[in-house]
Amino acid sequence: MRSFEVIDSHVLVIGSGGAGVRAAIEASNYGDAVMVSKTIAGKGGCTTMAEGGYNAVLRETDSCEDHFLDTLKGGAYLNDRELARILVDEAPERIADLLCWGAVFDVTGECQVAQRPFGGQRFPRTCYAGDRTGHEMMMTLLDRLASTDVDVFNEVAIIDLLKDGDTVAGAVGLDERGDMVIFRSDATVLATGGGTKIYDISTNSSSGTGDGFALGYRAGAELIDMEQVQFHPTGAVYPYDARGRLVTEAVRGEGGLLKNTKGERFMEHYDPERMELSTRDVVARSIATEILEGRGTKNGGVYLDVTHLPRHQVETRLPVMLEQFLKFGVDIRDEPMEVAPTAHHVMGGLRISSRGETSVPGLYACGEVTGGVHGANRLGGNALADTQVFGKRAGESAGKAKKRNISLDEGQIDLQEKRLEAFYAGEVNPATVARSLQTAMWEGAGIFRTGSDLEKTLEIIKHLSTLKLKAANRCNLIDCCTVQNMLTTASLVVRGAILRKESRGAHVRKDVTQAWDVSNSPYRHTFLSLCDEGIETGVWE
Amino acid sequence: MKEMSVKVFRFDPETDEKPHFQTYLVRVNDGARVLNVLHCIKEEHDPSLSYRYCCSSGQCGSCAVKVNGEPVLACMEEATDGMVIEPLDLPIKRDLVVDMEPYLDQIATLVPAEECPLPSQDVVEQIKPLRSCIECLACVSVCPALKVIDFSGPTAMRESLRLALDPRDTGDRVVEAVEEGLFTCTSCQACWKVCPKDIQIPGKAIEKLRALANEKGLTLPRHQSVEKLVRETGRSVDRTQETFLEQVPEVLEPYGEVRGTVGFFVGCMYNNRLPQTALDAMEVLRRNGIRVIIPREQICCGSPLIRTGQIGYINTLKRRNIDAFVFRNIDTVMTMCAGCGSTLKNDYDCPFRVLDINEVLTKFGIEPPARLELKATYHDPCHLMRGQGIKTQPRELISQVVDLVEMPAICCGSGGGVRSGVPEAAAALAEDRRIEIEKTGADIVISSCPFCEYHIMEHTDKPVKNITTVLLEGYREKDRREKEKEC
Repeated sequence: MRSFEVIDSHVLVIGSGGAGVRAAIEASNYGDAVMVSKTIAGKGGCTTMAEGGYNAVLRETDSCEDHFLDTLKGGAYLNDRELARILVDEAPERIADLLCWGAVFDVTGECQVAQRPFGGQRFPRTCYAGDRTGHEMMMTLLDRLASTDVDVFNEVAIIDLLKDGDTVAGAVGLDERGDMVIFRSDATVLATGGGTKIYDISTNSSSGTGDGFALGYRAGAELIDMEQVQFHPTGAVYPYDARGRLVTEAVRGEGGLLKNTKGERFMEHYDPERMELSTRDVVARSIATEILEGRGTKNGGVYLDVTHLPRHQVETRLPVMLEQFLKFGVDIRDEPMEVAPTAHHVMGGLRISSRGETSVPGLYACGEVTGGVHGANRLGGNALADTQVFGKRAGESAGKAKKRNISLDEGQIDLQEKRLEAFYAGEVNPATVARSLQTAMWEGAGIFRTGSDLEKTLEIIKHLSTLKLKAANRCNLIDCCTVQNMLTTASLVVRGAILRKESRGAHVRKDVTQAWDVSNSPYRHTFLSLCDEGIETGVWE
Repeated sequence: MKEMSVKVFRFDPETDEKPHFQTYLVRVNDGARVLNVLHCIKEEHDPSLSYRYCCSSGQCGSCAVKVNGEPVLACMEEATDGMVIEPLDLPIKRDLVVDMEPYLDQIATLVPAEECPLPSQDVVEQIKPLRSCIECLACVSVCPALKVIDFSGPTAMRESLRLALDPRDTGDRVVEAVEEGLFTCTSCQACWKVCPKDIQIPGKAIEKLRALANEKGLTLPRHQSVEKLVRETGRSVDRTQETFLEQVPEVLEPYGEVRGTVGFFVGCMYNNRLPQTALDAMEVLRRNGIRVIIPREQICCGSPLIRTGQIGYINTLKRRNIDAFVFRNIDTVMTMCAGCGSTLKNDYDCPFRVLDINEVLTKFGIEPPARLELKATYHDPCHLMRGQGIKTQPRELISQVVDLVEMPAICCGSGGGVRSGVPEAAAALAEDRRIEIEKTGADIVISSCPFCEYHIMEHTDKPVKNITTVLLEGYREKDRREKEKEC
């Protein structure tokens, strides 16, 4: 056996996005905490890329009840009611934390946090820092983290969770040199974010490979609603390599108009009341339909136009968009953007209690890796709020977990070493497998789905999972583990999609005709674990 | 799809004795970025290539590398055939991966007060541009001061100003900034020019911090005496000989046909310390048909005060200088000091056009001088190249008179008040400059800024000359040869 480092702590947080850092900050109030980041903390994850905003009820003319109802309606009534309630109730307190720690949100002349309208909400309740809201939050959270005793391990990838009997007791990681690091902890928080990198077209950063879904699943945790993958309506389409890059909903929030090549504001055919600010599932399907029916551009998109807005508004409220498009030769002050749907957010994930506990003892989770909060479609602005509300809750619960005497199971470490050794003897470039998977998922488990396509996609994933991934050197070991996680995550999405024989929120089954509207659906969560899978039934009150 | 050949820096400290470059032939999509090329190499040619990336959309600052010598974000920069990809000039971990953490750890963090009043809209608007930094460290990698002296660097200074402005922070950021080398920045602007977010750190952070330091009485004594001198004499340096303004009439007519008229803003250095250089320039202008009007009442432009955060007297200087030219109905004002030119263009709101002498001469075109049997190298003044974007014009002029050998454009150390305030830093930077000059094997050094000329002169044994002086020598040689022919 190779020698390896063992790091002991009370709480281990895996992931360094908004949820992970918030959890680590909170956990550090209760004992020593370690945060492991696959990247340099603050640079990875999707929080730092989040542009549009953070939903919180801050005005007397708004109410948490309205935010709750908007969230449920937006989520096609698949949301876990208790989690959704907590989200809306605590979002204001958590943004207050950020403001206290130095976050620089836009403010009004009256020195109140400014808010703008976002899709599917009856009140303009999306707080923002220009169009770099998530980046502002991450910078603030890292400042706060620096004032704690949290030990940060940068550029270490967790490849599996360790268990002591039925209880999660830490994790096995690989550092940037490919050396093994063992983390031993009383409580472990998964805050690894989402996984839409399993799709060919995705907004996610390189860390959106679904690692947490796979780690949790392999450790025996139950996942719910994994079929619910949000396709953001507006991703870039050109140039080819930039396809999928997020074009923030704030563009529409600020007044951007969607038009097809005939110049029609086509949303009037799909949702005349809410138009461009309908929910993301509706807008994404509308755009996809326009393109499928031949009213898209030659690059395969529709137009998103802000040229009618004052130039100053575009420059100050959407500076990142302006800069990004300029880099690709489009001045959005003078010409429309071209956009098309892009895989953005996984609404499903580990089932958690209100305290962030998963179904496995010792394992907690928060942020995008969890399921239930957003139901079948997430409202823009609710994810950043989710990271803070449930990051704090999971960090606190983990911090309060009992201290235990953990024995290190050498057998589990041996297994991981064998897994890694096998990669050296592998045959297939992991990048090739990832490409095949992404194409298959986009074609077979995308915006519009059928049972037979899903079955075919599952077969492809099964086949790809049998290939022996090859590591050319120690640094490639992480690539191999990541592709295995992508395969597991993809299979969870497809299995969930096969189980849900209805169209609901982001999940559309073209082969199913249903007699109910979503608020009266006879189905609840789909669930998947190592030992069981199915769909819960019963109409919610 | 298109094919391109790229050269990539490779170095694995565990196996390689020294770094080397590897050339790859890749096929990528149209519009591919540098990052897509790196992906292609790793996926199809060499899985051992190490590089960092994350968001792929210019928002996380993970993937900064040098492409053809210039720091860029790999995810945003379009790939080109023949490009050379190298790591940033920071400690290298492997291939294109550099050690970022020691620098990131130096950036100060907010320490909140018990009561935390939200910043007002006005303060938020001041802070926002400073907050768009993605900490890619491109600025740190090019900062010349940071390489030779204890200085926390551009992005740390940027965050220090943000904290100093934020009412929620309890730290004494201005005092800390002074301790961390606030006065060692030469305002060379290299950091700003490579910033993917276009954050103007010297002007919008360093000088603002220096102004806050000034309010606290922390301005360096030598800088204070410069301010005193400006208030007393209108000039930032004392006179050592008959000044330029004392030697010329208010209007200098050209020798031949009048091809154009400019007002001339001479600046303190050329007026008080290097008047002969300015006189040489006048000869070149007269020979090329340019009438020069020289208002007597012009004074210091204020650059030495703005750069050092002493802004109390600036508006007076600005008004007097602008009036001097406006009263004579001058529509084009020519500068020959890079610092004055940059100040008039960027810190003033001038009702007239400001052109550097290199722009004037190349715009009108010059009579060809004789070629001198000299090999020369050219030092780009920071306030000319970055402050005014003037890079090609001096070369166009120089190459008409001598053979030009290029050297890397780095700061000589004289700007930003560093020469007077932190002389050891200025000297250390000049030593780097001297080494580069030596490498070129040039006989003379040419520049176009009195501060650079004066400073480099002290640190090299090669003659240092202004462009116009060399042009004038070319004309004199031409005249001599023609006379010889006649004889």
